[in-house]
Amino acid sequence: MKTLMKYVLLTQLCTVAVAGQALKKPDDGSISIEQGLKSWAKIYDVVSHPRCVNCHVGSDNYPMWSGPSYGKTRRHGMNINAGNSRMGVESVMCSTCHTATTSEAAHGAPGVKASWRLAPVAAAWFGKSSDEICQQLRDPNRNGNRSFEDVAAHLNHDVILHWAWQPGGKREPAPYSLDEHVNDIMSWGWAGVPCPSDSDEALTEDITNE
Amino acid sequence: MQITVNGVQHEIDVEDDMPLLWVLRDELKLTGTKYGCGIAQCGVCTVHMDGLAVRACQLRAGDAQGRQITTIEGLGTPEALHAVQDAWIEHQVAQCGYCQSGQIMSVASFLKFKPNPTDEEIDFALSSNLCRCGTYPRIREAVKTAAAKLRGEV
Repeated sequence: MKTLMKYVLLTQLCTVAVAGQALKKPDDGSISIEQGLKSWAKIYDVVSHPRCVNCHVGSDNYPMWSGPSYGKTRRHGMNINAGNSRMGVESVMCSTCHTATTSEAAHGAPGVKASWRLAPVAAAWFGKSSDEICQQLRDPNRNGNRSFEDVAAHLNHDVILHWAWQPGGKREPAPYSLDEHVNDIMSWGWAGVPCPSDSDEALTEDITNE
Repeated sequence: MQITVNGVQHEIDVEDDMPLLWVLRDELKLTGTKYGCGIAQCGVCTVHMDGLAVRACQLRAGDAQGRQITTIEGLGTPEALHAVQDAWIEHQVAQCGYCQSGQIMSVASFLKFKPNPTDEEIDFALSSNLCRCGTYPRIREAVKTAAAKLRGEV
């Protein structure tokens, strides 16, 4: 546990540098599977939050409106469909309303200094369980051929993701913080990217060895 | 700041975060672009930025600097209407007319990507431009005519 905290602290200090600087990997096994699963649970709290999941939708290409601001879950209003382009080229570009600036007004359009768009279909998370998303995120064939370090680095440089923690107006931000989320991904990764449905045997063995 | 609207460069003294819609209507007196909801939900304030539809109520004046803004006044001329404007007159689309400049600007942008749209595609594209008079059937027909005109078929 001390090792984990040491490296969590290290990543806290070096979060911005994750993309460009190789962090010292902790000793093999120093971050337990159990701890990795705890980190994963926090990661799931983030990736299943409306600020993230409303745009991580499936191949029907409908963005969603869900979360405290909307009462009940529904598709994005105005019959908006982002199309196979995932950015609305086929009908209404997301950028028509989602500009470089977030509207602070209730139900105004949020925006970032990047192209507003849906996440790829391979990263469809809306309505998915913790284990389903975990399996997807650790599978290079479905996560954009990324290692867990790459996933963490991706969070650092993609400003549309940063918006989730600074959504503006009265929108509820994603839980924890960007730094903490990156740390959780690193911890999860160094623990061997465990998922909830992994065999209980491995977890038992890991706990026994502690 | 300098802002280019309908090919004309203007020097204006406004805050960076003033909505483009305010600049157009209050500073430049281009009142063809209308105010509706102010939160990007109705589409009446639609203009083009570098040829693509944007909601003028959402766009900060500062973000429009260095870009080409086109309003309904600059889409065509009385002597040479844009194909969408021409089709709108042909189908007598407007009832009260308040939403129509936004509708036309949205369609002109949409047809650049979809030169031969289906009914479903038109419905998707125009659902974000509200018409309280319910002129949607005429809008759909006018879009098809405009598309045919732009394809050079009529």
